[in-house]
Amino acid sequence: MQTPSNRWLGHGLYLVIMAALIAGIYFSGQKINYTWHWERLWPYVINTEPQDIIAQTDGTAVVSASGQLSITPDYGGAPQVVPDYDKLVARDGDLIFQGDTIARIEGWRFGPIAEGLWVTIEISFLSLIFSILLGVVFGLMRVAHGQVWRNLAVTYVEIIRGTPLLVQIFIVYFFIGTVFDLDRFTAGVAALSIFTGAYVAEIVRGGIQSVPPGQMEAARSLGMNYAQAMAYVVMPQAIKRTLPPLAGQFINLIKDSSLVSVISITDLTKAGREVVSGSFAPFEVWFTVAALYLVVTGGLSWAIQRLEKRLAASD
Amino acid sequence: MTNQAQKQVLIAARDVNKIFENGCHALKNVSLDIHRGEVVVIIGPSGSGKSTFLRTLNQLETISSGHIKIDGIDLVDKNTNINKLREEVGMVFQSFNLFPHKTALGNVMLAPLKVLKRDKAEVEQEAKDLLYRVGLHDRMQSYPSRLSGGQQQRVAIARSLAMKPKALLFDEPTSALDPEMVGEVLDVMKGLAKEGMTMVVVTHEMGFAREVADRVVFMEEGELVLEESPERFFNSEHPRLQRFLGQVL
Ligand SMILES: Nc1ncnc2c1ncn2[C@@H]1O[C@H](COP(=O)(O)OP(=O)(O)OP(=O)(O)O)[C@@H](O)[C@H]1O
Ligand SMILES: [Mg+2]
Repeated sequence: MQTPSNRWLGHGLYLVIMAALIAGIYFSGQKINYTWHWERLWPYVINTEPQDIIAQTDGTAVVSASGQLSITPDYGGAPQVVPDYDKLVARDGDLIFQGDTIARIEGWRFGPIAEGLWVTIEISFLSLIFSILLGVVFGLMRVAHGQVWRNLAVTYVEIIRGTPLLVQIFIVYFFIGTVFDLDRFTAGVAALSIFTGAYVAEIVRGGIQSVPPGQMEAARSLGMNYAQAMAYVVMPQAIKRTLPPLAGQFINLIKDSSLVSVISITDLTKAGREVVSGSFAPFEVWFTVAALYLVVTGGLSWAIQRLEKRLAASD
Repeated sequence: MTNQAQKQVLIAARDVNKIFENGCHALKNVSLDIHRGEVVVIIGPSGSGKSTFLRTLNQLETISSGHIKIDGIDLVDKNTNINKLREEVGMVFQSFNLFPHKTALGNVMLAPLKVLKRDKAEVEQEAKDLLYRVGLHDRMQSYPSRLSGGQQQRVAIARSLAMKPKALLFDEPTSALDPEMVGEVLDVMKGLAKEGMTMVVVTHEMGFAREVADRVVFMEEGELVLEESPERFFNSEHPRLQRFLGQVL
């Protein structure tokens, strides 16, 4: 039995240990003479500085009646059209040299880290949806009566689980992606969905098989066909049992999504790599990236726990 | 059973054989007619094929040879819609098999809603009436995990009745119950019998057989050994039956 005073002692001790760990990180930074520059990181997350728009060629500024700015190059070629700006710097007819600031955009914009985070969320979300679809279909095939279905499902699951995700990403991108002319993003989502779908299929199969056979029999004896019995009786119970392992699998999915940076998708990890070389603040960047992954995975865990609580009403 | 309509055969099993994949010969040339409105009780030792026989009657188990006709329609015929036939023959299981994710009311309503695609308000009213009939009007919103075994089995009976079956099959409906709950389930079954429901009941409750059955059937080792009215059955000198009754009574 845990007494209340014991519990508080435990919490206190935990805080002390955590403080020691954080201090440890801080002092190890000092030991290697690392100067922390958290402020350098900020513009890469959200950029509040006005953005300069730079002339790309030497030429003449032209401001049309509707206010659109363009640069007509001196030596021919297509004019540089500025689609959107807040403040003009160049005036109509000005002589412009390459590299001049011709206009500014004010207000804030997302920096590369925020954009990378968004890409990671997008890829993970789409892959999650498709992996659930794949997982349910192949999970159902795995327990189907037809031997063909079962064989097909086993083949899929074994091939995917037996090969590394990184290799699968390359195969999807370079082989399937070339055959079907997929862009990077689609290829990334496809690879992650196919990979995670195999694990989801096994989880779904386990969930279905954990529902006592009497449930199917009761449903069938009430006149339901196989599909109705699955949909209204077996699956609702199976899903409840699969939620905890599914949560783990989807958290893995979010983390695995960092591997798509190998096919040049600028997700959170790739953005981190790029920002490190621009900001010279590697520790801050990687700690931030890790924290952001933690926020996304934590959010998903929380959402699934909520769902579990709601489904627990009948226990 | 003087009425001509009651003499009409509802379920006809002819020379039914069931051999499981593992070679177990569970039913050997079983033939039995069940008339409309009749209560047939099946008794026999464990492993004698009672459950298997019941399960073949609504095709939870396929048969290896022979014929089963429900209301004149052959189950073995390829053109028969088995789901449709299952609607007409309800089944009550030893382990209740209520749907744990649905309330008592939800359990009763599910099949009429999804299979018959009937109007919800109507189905709900009927389901409430059925639960009232089995004495559970105050537990409609309870989930099965909150119900006693006897209550669960009564919900299961109401659930089967919701499909308005022509016959109900009971596979040891009281065997998983604590003794004090057996009575409440048997009372519901007696009520059904009185209302003229066709019932096939596998049970070890000899009292129920004596009191309610129109016919009692004794099975042993996959064979239908004896088929008699209760009075004659329990006074029978049949040696195999004597041996069995000697063991249970
Ligand atoms: N799915 C199956 N596969 C193989 N053999 C089976 C299967 N189901 C039942 N059997 C066998 O068939 C025989 C009859 O079983 P059944 O369940 O019908 O007996 P029962 O009379 O209902 O017994 P009990 O009183 O124990 O319920 C037994 O020998 C059993 O082992
Ligand atoms: Mg049995």
